[in-house]
Amino acid sequence: MEESNLNALRVSRRLLLVSTALAGLAAAQPWWIQAAAASDDRFMALSRLLIPHQLDPEVGRRIAAALHADSAPFSNQVDALLTLARDKKAAIVEDFFPFASDEAKQAALQIISAWYLGVVDNAPDAKNIAYELALMFKPTSDVMTIPTYSISRPNGWSADAPPLSIMPVF
Amino acid sequence: MTQTESADIIVVGTGVIGCLIAEQLLDAGHSVLMLEAGPRVERWQIVEKYRNLPPVTVTNLDAAYPPSRWAPFLDSTSATTAADYLQLEGPNARAYRQDYVRYAGGSTWHWAGICWRLTPDDMRLKSLYGVGRDWAFDYATLEPYYTRAEYAMGVCGPSDPDLQWPPIRSKPYPMGRLPFGPGEQKFTDAAARLGLKNLPAAQARNSGVSYDTRPPCCGNNSCIPVCPIGAKYDAASSLPRIEAKGGKILVNAVVYRIETGTGNQVQAVHYFDPNGQSTRVTGKLFVIACNGIETPKLLLMSADTRNPRGVANSSDQVGRNMMDQPKLVAAVTLAEPAWTGVGPVQGSSIMQTSQGAFRSEHAGALLRFNNMARSRLGAMQALKTGLVGKALDAEIRRLSACTAELTLEHELLPNPNNRLTLSSKKDALGIPKPNIYYDVGPYVRKSAEIYSTPLVKQLAHEMGATDVKVTTEFTNSDHIMGGMIMGADPADSVVDVDCRAHDHANLFLPGGGAMTTAGCGNSTLTMAALALKAADAMVAQLAHA
Repeated sequence: MEESNLNALRVSRRLLLVSTALAGLAAAQPWWIQAAAASDDRFMALSRLLIPHQLDPEVGRRIAAALHADSAPFSNQVDALLTLARDKKAAIVEDFFPFASDEAKQAALQIISAWYLGVVDNAPDAKNIAYELALMFKPTSDVMTIPTYSISRPNGWSADAPPLSIMPVF
Repeated sequence: MTQTESADIIVVGTGVIGCLIAEQLLDAGHSVLMLEAGPRVERWQIVEKYRNLPPVTVTNLDAAYPPSRWAPFLDSTSATTAADYLQLEGPNARAYRQDYVRYAGGSTWHWAGICWRLTPDDMRLKSLYGVGRDWAFDYATLEPYYTRAEYAMGVCGPSDPDLQWPPIRSKPYPMGRLPFGPGEQKFTDAAARLGLKNLPAAQARNSGVSYDTRPPCCGNNSCIPVCPIGAKYDAASSLPRIEAKGGKILVNAVVYRIETGTGNQVQAVHYFDPNGQSTRVTGKLFVIACNGIETPKLLLMSADTRNPRGVANSSDQVGRNMMDQPKLVAAVTLAEPAWTGVGPVQGSSIMQTSQGAFRSEHAGALLRFNNMARSRLGAMQALKTGLVGKALDAEIRRLSACTAELTLEHELLPNPNNRLTLSSKKDALGIPKPNIYYDVGPYVRKSAEIYSTPLVKQLAHEMGATDVKVTTEFTNSDHIMGGMIMGADPADSVVDVDCRAHDHANLFLPGGGAMTTAGCGNSTLTMAALALKAADAMVAQLAHA
């Protein structure tokens, strides 16, 4: 194996260890402690409750800014959702989302949609927040290429595909 | 004061046709000047533009190519922008909403790379089936040029004659075939159960190896709108080579007039820069290769006292016989995954359905599986349901994997009533916009009704479809043909067998516009073969001058 590949492996292993440790911390720490922090943190805390996947903080900051998450109306819905989640002792979105008000649900779906699509307003002239980090590509990332990115090598792809039931971890 | 430029050969247009001819003429020792209406951009700029588009534009294939003010083309952003440039009328106006790019490199930037040949029968419709026209020469005459075009562009394809289309070849493809992803394999298997052969497409995409300074395809699945690594032939790799050989390329130079002189020879072309400043360009031979819409438009705009109906138009056939392959699409939902997005966006087609005795009655059709990744479409649809959490992910995966699009492309006959004329509407430089009347006619409609649509439904069900919806409104395939139709008789055709204008000994009009019939396959390779034939004639003509 070439030196650069070895280094890449070491780096990714380190990253894995760090992220596992952080995930452990996050799990050990009551969510409302995170939620009590600044609005960005509240937005990320809510995002993590709404979406059961690894979320990129920089993408989160850009989504929060584009949604005007710190504006009073949106911020109120974020608070309402965080409060509801706490009341329901929610660990995942299924635990509290069904009980949210219509307005809060709408805000939650807006946040989820932005993380998945990489835009807050999916119109032709919309500004893109994320492309390759948009979650819309993740549920099929074991098979499908993110257009312009390669997951194969020269003539390295085939007709084999895993079953629908095995969801990639992301 | 009017500025001037000069070279032996003046080539208007920098797409595949202009580049192939320019390079051959440079190799023969002649000076070449290429004029491009649009700007020159780098590959990374298009890739970045594309990656920064919102997902809603996924089906708008020209979104990464905003038109310049001075070289407009179709802008599909909205119904309003789409109606701005091409003025379309007739029963199938929508089906002539042709995508092309007026940038240096032309539409090679965002073509799928598919390189089907015509068959011998495709070139003899009149004598075999009593419809359309016969070509002025046969397949055997064109075959050596097909082979040269395949080697010039770097076309990969199957080595097994059973999988070749047509299996009448003087040389193997320069590279072997590309593999299928799961979707195209599933389509191939379903077709085989119905006795149909889905063939690996001949494609101008490097297969497994580098070719002509370009790297092998890595399955980035964005051939349209742009290959990010340059594995597909696009003129972006030809332009620097042309310059290295001494060719000159002027961009943002919008040719608006062809000037004729003594003996009705072409003396010059005139172009505007983006500010409307005019330059006169003289040469010995002139090639107008700015696609099947812009070329007839320019010929018609250049009417003068010698040529009152337009340059090259004594036959009144310039801008007539406009062709394409009218397209229908089957949206398919499957019980089991088909999967798209593995390998190039297109890699195969059923071709045998384009041939048969039925052609005396109705059109044949090409059938294919669209391999563009459906992840964004699946995600957009799933998010509309209001699902969250695990259910959302599962629905995105299901909709992305278990939906598919099958495409039908029909053979259209040359019909003089399908006609491009000059609109009274003008673009920013005061140049008339193209106006096109288009009717796919009973030949195609009958095919859709009794042949192609029933066939695609059968195929979809064989793939395990639980739902099939076939469109009924024809759309564009972007294969623009017929507007400078080739023939032996100057009374009913525009160019001779070498794409030379019957009316002007030093004017060449190669490309899709010269094609006498369309076939069902993508037109680029035939266009390229005609370009190389024209280039041979030009070299010979200059040698005798």
